[in-house]
Amino acid sequence: MSTWVPTEGTSDALLSVRDLKVTFPTEDGLVKAVNGLTFDLNAGETLGIVGESGSGKSVTSQAIMGLHRGTRAKVEGSIDFDGKNLLKLEDEELRVMRGRDIAMIFQDPLSALHPYYTVGNQIIEAYKVHHGSASKAAVRAHVIDMLERVGIPNPQKRIDQYPHEFSGGMRQRAMIAMALVNSPRLVIADEPTTALDVTVQAQILDLLIDLQKDINAAIIIITHDLGVVAEMADKIMVMYGGKAVEGGTADQTFYSPEHPYTWGLLQSMPRIDRERLDRLRPIPGNPPSLISPPSGCAFHTRCAYRDDENLGCSTIVPEFDVQDWHPVRCLIPAPKRKAIFDTEIRTPSS
Amino acid sequence: MFAYIVRRVAAGMVMILAMSLVTMLLFFASPADPARYTCGKNCTPQLLEQNRKALGYDQPVLSYWVDFTKGIFVGSEFPKDPALKKSAPETIADCPAPCLGYSPQSSRPVRDIIVEKLPVSASLAIAAFIMWMIAGVGLGIVAALRKGSIVDRAIVGSALVFYAFPTFFIGLGLYVFLALKWGIVPVPAYTSIADGGVGLWLQGLFLPALTLALVYIAGYIRLTRAFVLEVKGEDYLRTAQAKGLTSGRILFKHTLRGALTPIATVAGLDLGGLLGGTIITEQVFNYDGLGRTAVMAATTYDLPVTVGIVLVAATFVITANIVVDVLYAVIDPRVKYS
Amino acid sequence: MSSRKRTTALAALGVASVLGVSACGGGGTTGGTTSGSNAAGGAQKGGTIYMLTKRPAEHMDPQRTYIGRDIFNQQRLVYRGLLQFPAGKSGADAIVPIPDVATDTGKSEDGGKKWTFTIKDGVKWEDGKPTTCEDFKYGFSRNFATDVLTGGPSIYPLNFMPSVAKAYKGPYLKTGQDVYDKAVTCNGNVLTFNFEKPWADFPMAIAGLNFAAPFRQDKDQGDKNNFVIFSNGPYKAEGGKWTKGTGATFVRNDQYDPKTDGNRQANPDKFVFTEGLTNEIITQRLIADGGNDKYAITDRSIPPAFYNQITGDVAKRATNVPSPYTFYILPNFNKMKNLKVRQALAMSTDRAGYINALGGAKAATLAKSLVAPDLPGYKENPAFSSMPPSGDPVAAKKLLQEAGVAMPYPITYTYQGGTPTSDNAAAALKSGWDKAGFSVKLAPLTDTYYDVIQNPSNNSFDVTEGGWGADYPSIFTVLPALFDSRINLTGKSNGQDYGNYKNPDAEKIMDEAAAAPTADAANAKWQELDAFLGKDVAYIPNYIQNFYFLHGSGVGNYNQNPAVSQFPDLGVISVNK
Repeated sequence: MSTWVPTEGTSDALLSVRDLKVTFPTEDGLVKAVNGLTFDLNAGETLGIVGESGSGKSVTSQAIMGLHRGTRAKVEGSIDFDGKNLLKLEDEELRVMRGRDIAMIFQDPLSALHPYYTVGNQIIEAYKVHHGSASKAAVRAHVIDMLERVGIPNPQKRIDQYPHEFSGGMRQRAMIAMALVNSPRLVIADEPTTALDVTVQAQILDLLIDLQKDINAAIIIITHDLGVVAEMADKIMVMYGGKAVEGGTADQTFYSPEHPYTWGLLQSMPRIDRERLDRLRPIPGNPPSLISPPSGCAFHTRCAYRDDENLGCSTIVPEFDVQDWHPVRCLIPAPKRKAIFDTEIRTPSS
Repeated sequence: MFAYIVRRVAAGMVMILAMSLVTMLLFFASPADPARYTCGKNCTPQLLEQNRKALGYDQPVLSYWVDFTKGIFVGSEFPKDPALKKSAPETIADCPAPCLGYSPQSSRPVRDIIVEKLPVSASLAIAAFIMWMIAGVGLGIVAALRKGSIVDRAIVGSALVFYAFPTFFIGLGLYVFLALKWGIVPVPAYTSIADGGVGLWLQGLFLPALTLALVYIAGYIRLTRAFVLEVKGEDYLRTAQAKGLTSGRILFKHTLRGALTPIATVAGLDLGGLLGGTIITEQVFNYDGLGRTAVMAATTYDLPVTVGIVLVAATFVITANIVVDVLYAVIDPRVKYS
Repeated sequence: MSSRKRTTALAALGVASVLGVSACGGGGTTGGTTSGSNAAGGAQKGGTIYMLTKRPAEHMDPQRTYIGRDIFNQQRLVYRGLLQFPAGKSGADAIVPIPDVATDTGKSEDGGKKWTFTIKDGVKWEDGKPTTCEDFKYGFSRNFATDVLTGGPSIYPLNFMPSVAKAYKGPYLKTGQDVYDKAVTCNGNVLTFNFEKPWADFPMAIAGLNFAAPFRQDKDQGDKNNFVIFSNGPYKAEGGKWTKGTGATFVRNDQYDPKTDGNRQANPDKFVFTEGLTNEIITQRLIADGGNDKYAITDRSIPPAFYNQITGDVAKRATNVPSPYTFYILPNFNKMKNLKVRQALAMSTDRAGYINALGGAKAATLAKSLVAPDLPGYKENPAFSSMPPSGDPVAAKKLLQEAGVAMPYPITYTYQGGTPTSDNAAAALKSGWDKAGFSVKLAPLTDTYYDVIQNPSNNSFDVTEGGWGADYPSIFTVLPALFDSRINLTGKSNGQDYGNYKNPDAEKIMDEAAAAPTADAANAKWQELDAFLGKDVAYIPNYIQNFYFLHGSGVGNYNQNPAVSQFPDLGVISVNK
């Protein structure tokens, strides 16, 4: 990876999102949930999208899946998958790709699985819809194999059980089995571990990484927890108020972040290497309005380092240069950002 | 599950017997004198006493109830007069178990009356049920799928109109305009299948069932629409969509299965309530079913028929409750009874 | 019981309804009403007449039937008795008994104590067996089984055979059968009744009621017979019974020989009775006049809400006649002891306002006596001739002042409430009485109404109301039934004497009337009694309920007359094809 995205027109990435905008009309006004998002993702690569709720990360994933079709949401820009702009596809063309080429893992497996059907029924359905000619027995065998691969013990029996008979971790494994049953090329995992116990979280993430290697799929992990993606993602994009505010490799974003919002995310995250709990503090203030965002830098209302007089944080809209190696949407000059991070944010362990 | 059903049925039977006692208590506590009603004009105190005896209201309510309850299990005969039975056995009405009493006003065992009227009420209830389930649930789904559109607003709006009108008004309106003024449908009259075949039976059922259905359709449209919309917001529907399922499969397999489960509950209870008779519709269309018979019995102080119909109606309601609960366990794998 | 509205005892169960006016007895009013082709000979045969009604029949057993409508429908269609009333006649001619199964109208001996009838040959039951003297004797015996067969007018036969009634318990228990066998005898085809008291108008009684109808012993099953119909008339019931709540269909009885009759025209091939309809539905259907409803008739009046729809062609199919039911206001003699006060009450009674509340002239006619106008011996009660329809509060006030009571004089008026109509009517009365110097408290009652007014020691009310129709065309079935304290007042109940009226002078006149050798002599005495009661203000005549019926356009020979209590006469009705 050289720059955040390669020069226009030269991308051969599996997924190529350009200037994506998703808006919803509401009684109070137009909600700009995603406001100009650009990124690339190569086959086998993992992208972490990090942000608070309302930052637009889930809306982005739904836009890729085409789940906004038939609703009042308006999607603009382009989402090229394998060279085809998904936004231009017919409903039926896109439907066929869903689950087969692009699959999704949801946050809460209990509510994401239909309570009235067995786990097996639902996974079999996911496979059969794209493999109509497969025999019943073959499909069942494949699904049992899949359950085994995601680490569900005794899959012959579990396949006929209902979601409520599974533990939370097992349910998420089943959910992963369902997503991967067609060996998709892109898997979007939306907060895949948020609803799970901390001990189970790591297992699920490990499982995902293992399976990714098996099928060479690209993964987008959407999370509010920077720690979740720090180790497994190749690239991390931090979103704030419907826009990307920082992008780069996992190392860049995690170990030398440059955006004050990313700093905030880091500081609000419990870490083993940070012993003083008083340093664990949430970002003050609330996420910005998506209908009438703050003027200038959207984060300036919550930013501890804003400087309206010298930098014009409240008036000038900072750029996000996708041709940069490590683009940061911030008016503070890069050297100063690095200095602040080194002196104030990265606290040496004491 | 079996133990659960047995327990529920037993509790239901106790409830039914208690209800019979309550009905009788209310009746006996009423200030009006049923004997005066049957006594006729120029009633003397002596005739009044004989009437009261013939009606069986000369005994205390508890012994009346014990007699009644005994009759259910071992049968009974009317009048209970050994001297009369000896000299004129042909005048004694036999009422084998389960005897629900004998109506002095109709001069027949109550069970015979119920057996005669029940098919009328049941036909009406089932025909109406089918109509409102198809139309109510169908329109409710359409309204939910087209939420916010003109179609949605038209369906919900017209449903509200019917919801607001009293049954009597709808029934009379349909009767007068469709049957009498415009002659679009024949004047409705109940014809049993045995008497007139399925064609005449359905023809007679059309207007009253439509009346009843219109009253319920409104509720079911609103209910279905609400449940479908609720399910449409469920995560598992998003999952279904993400799997690449067709919209038809998403609707029929995933949406409706979730949305119609609570509807099935309500529908089962509504049907159970209606099988015991519909008072207003039966009155308007002169359907000689349990509802109209119950009103007639109450106004003529015919306690045995009143109690009999109360019990039959209660049995339907209680049975419907049990069936719905059991059905729920079948529909929803998360529900288990022990 | 008289015309009573009742609310259900089971209101607590959530089922409440109001019964209509009960139609009892014979009696008559001025004129008959006829429409359609009236020439008896010209009536068409065939077709079906549909009777649409609300109130279910309570009995089809002839000895138990006490509702005028049912009595005459039974007589015209299925039950032939000794005597009958002529079909299709009007006024006084309609209530002259004529032979039916008897060869003549009976011979009386011993001052009216002994009556003999000869039974015709050729009158057959629907199974082909002849109607015999024994059938009549058996039928009459059933009146004595008051414990098994309740509800009928057995009070009449029992009243005229008191010692038989004491000894004989009817044909089921057979106790005292020998006593009865002497009282009623069959000698070949000659039937003899030996009464213990003179019964001068016995022919009227058996033409107007069915208690003397024949009954086949081999068909008798006691109470189980209540809705069984075993005919010896021109029609028979399909399935042999009436279905309570539904009705019945009557088809021709092939065993009926019109030559033995000569009165019933029996024009239609079929009668279909449907009961349990609402007045509104009946009226709507008859206004619409569609399909079979063209041949429909009813015994239910048009509700006032529909009056404005009875115009043009529909009005031609409407009849409006006074019914045999008179309604009256009565003072409670336990409290209203001052004659002048009662006179003031009568003089200030706003009957016009009351009738207006009922729906006006179509709904009711001003009554001039408690006796219905076409009962034999009817005369306007002279005591009320000076009483204007709206009352005269000025004259009434004067009477109240003469009474020397403190004014305003407080009275409580108790009535059967619960409907807007009854409340409006009571308000009209209150307004008239208040103007005259009374201070009226209205006390509407529902379920407890009869417990209050029939309780002889209840003094919670001063004035109430009642309604009555003659059992058969005789004043004997009216005034004594309402004002003879000897038959009404017992310790527990005042019977039909709601005002607790007890006057030896009035009772003396009653006895003289009952013992009168001829009908004319009796009628003179009844008039004297009515005038006496009027003068004493034992009652205040209020209104006569009107029948306002519709019938279909295909109904021919439509006729309402006193012989059938002003209901449609099924003996002459026909279908116009």
